[in-house]
Amino acid sequence: MAAISMRLPVARKAAAPSAARGAEKHLVAPGDTITTDTGYMRGHGTYVEEEKLIASVAGAVERVNKLVCVKALKSRYNGEVGDIVVGRITEVQQKRWKVETNSRLDSVLLLSSMNLPGGELRRRSAEDELAMRDYLQEGDLISAEVQSIFSDGAVSLHTRSLKYGKLGQGVLVQVPPSLVKRQKTHFHDLPCGASVILGNNGFIWIYPTAEQKDEEAGGFTTNLEPVPLSDREVISRLRNCIVALVTQKLMLFDTSILYCYEASLPHQIKDILKPEVMEEIVLETRQRLLDLEG
Amino acid sequence: MKATPLSNCERRFLLRAIEERKRLDGRQCYDYRNVRISFGVDYGCCIVELGKTRVLAQVSCELVPPKPNRPTEGILFFNLELSPMAAPGFEPGRQPELLVKLNRLIERCLRNSRCIDTESLCVVAGEKVWQIRLDLHLLNHDGNIIDAASIAGIVALCHFRRPDVSVQGEEVTVYTPEERDPVPLSIHHMPICVSFAFFQQGTYLLVDPSEREELVMDGVLVIAMNKHREICTIQSSGGIMLVKDQVLRCSKITAVKVAEITELIQKALENDQRARKEGGKFGFAESIPNQKITAFKMESAAVDTNNVEEQAEEIIAKADPPSEVFSKPILHTPGTAQIGEGIENSWGDLEESEKEEAVEEEDESEAAAALECQKMETEDTSMMTETKKDEPIVLSDSEEEEVVILEPQELPSKTRPQSSLKQETTSKKAFNKRRRKKRVAR
Repeated sequence: MAAISMRLPVARKAAAPSAARGAEKHLVAPGDTITTDTGYMRGHGTYVEEEKLIASVAGAVERVNKLVCVKALKSRYNGEVGDIVVGRITEVQQKRWKVETNSRLDSVLLLSSMNLPGGELRRRSAEDELAMRDYLQEGDLISAEVQSIFSDGAVSLHTRSLKYGKLGQGVLVQVPPSLVKRQKTHFHDLPCGASVILGNNGFIWIYPTAEQKDEEAGGFTTNLEPVPLSDREVISRLRNCIVALVTQKLMLFDTSILYCYEASLPHQIKDILKPEVMEEIVLETRQRLLDLEG
Repeated sequence: MKATPLSNCERRFLLRAIEERKRLDGRQCYDYRNVRISFGVDYGCCIVELGKTRVLAQVSCELVPPKPNRPTEGILFFNLELSPMAAPGFEPGRQPELLVKLNRLIERCLRNSRCIDTESLCVVAGEKVWQIRLDLHLLNHDGNIIDAASIAGIVALCHFRRPDVSVQGEEVTVYTPEERDPVPLSIHHMPICVSFAFFQQGTYLLVDPSEREELVMDGVLVIAMNKHREICTIQSSGGIMLVKDQVLRCSKITAVKVAEITELIQKALENDQRARKEGGKFGFAESIPNQKITAFKMESAAVDTNNVEEQAEEIIAKADPPSEVFSKPILHTPGTAQIGEGIENSWGDLEESEKEEAVEEEDESEAAAALECQKMETEDTSMMTETKKDEPIVLSDSEEEEVVILEPQELPSKTRPQSSLKQETTSKKAFNKRRRKKRVAR
């Protein structure tokens, strides 16, 4: 008979506000007045009513010279050129795939933006069109980069480099896009034994580190060998750490994930999901990050 | 906005679970979710909840000229709407074929089955008839919209009261509800739809699919039946090929389910009727429970208690009987108290008794830890009774009598003077333990 741990509902105290992080952000809720000064131009997330500038989303106010806009804390992904995204194929259409990337409209991956196996560079022919389903099917996960944005806001992707392509075995974590920090590179090989792709759209992919770098890969051959248990444990622990960081609203980047992983080592993997353990690990992570900054 | 697609892992998991006859919410293959019916203040307004799927139904009436080719019949109008609050995939502008399919099913179920007597809706032949309009709104989509909608529709129609009308020669008088009590519609029977979802080309079937199951199903069979076992409408969609005995089996299951649901509907209608007559409170504010976001609300789940008796018997057989309660504690040092005296132990062999004691203590401390029993008194008495086996309370001055009073916050460890065996307790937190062992000189 296995032991069961039960948790009764009890009101939890709100976590103490962390130390001041530089300038205090001006947080607003929908309907809050931002300013009554009429000299400002209104940007995204605001509207004017009765000579007052009012916020329409919940978030932080950003002011650039005369432009006032509100950056929403939790919203769908808005594509920017050059972002790395992880997405799931939803449809296979005539010359393109529709990819779901947690944005308002499905993103588009054109056949001409896709790498052919072997890295060939040639014009896409009719046979390529017919063989589209062999490359990517509905339900497959891919990593890609944003090439351009259509006028209606839909994002066009490309996988023109060998590091993008179909993703094999791993774990996907969905987080709010605003928590993923913008960095130079989003593909990280963590020293703990797993690799992680931090998609700007909030999809984070954790996978076992490939043994040797396949040149020919191009992302089409998926490695279906069974993953050893130690790798699986590392990946599970990383996944739980990321969930803990998201619950405590900490920005996600390779250093924060690594510190959180190290802070969580004394605990069992499944204990990381308990609220008090989460608070403890994230507090330690925050401390280390502050020390790192100086 | 498009709905989030199901990942391959989830799809495979669901199909594999269905092959093993397991459903995500723990139901059996032929089980329905809980049906809850609540009525509004107006006649003809009700909300039906099938699990988490919610449908709101409202019936209204109006006097209109009849259709030219049917001058003596009233007019029925059905309308089902999928509001965007039901699911992110429903947009107000473009409504997919699902909406058309559901509307057609509702119409066939309620209109073509002739469950409502349209002749009784006629006021003046050829000039004035009642037009009964049924509006169904989907409030939340968690699978199986058609069943919930059909139940809501028929319940609302049964609940509805139209104004009373009297015709004297050429004059038609429509009475307001204050002048004369409104009159119910004349309903012959209650058709209810039951859906069956098929998987793996018809090998497995589930009744009342939830939203996830609907996403992975191959096809669905909807049978509308009333409690007299008459099939009102039957529709199969999704392109599955069904065998004759499958359809017959489904219709038998439908008969059982419809009987249950009809009984539930009757009871709900009676309750509401009684509440209104006795002047009690009625309406949504009373029947829909307080769903505050800040309150902790969990639906009750059934617990399988089949093996509880055997397990309980096992535990009771292994555990020792509880000791008598000693009510007077003696305080030795701050943090250490003693209740009662020990009784003699009757162990013959020293080594055996030590091991037994260690094992028992371990069991006891683990059990104590698991129960999160922080009270020292109960622990002490139970500890002491664990180490004693015999009844007679003999307080004798024996040669070896060890009383170790431990300071708080310390891991207690105990050494026996006669043997070099060291006994360590296995308690986790700082339990103040106190053991008294008496060895009766034999």
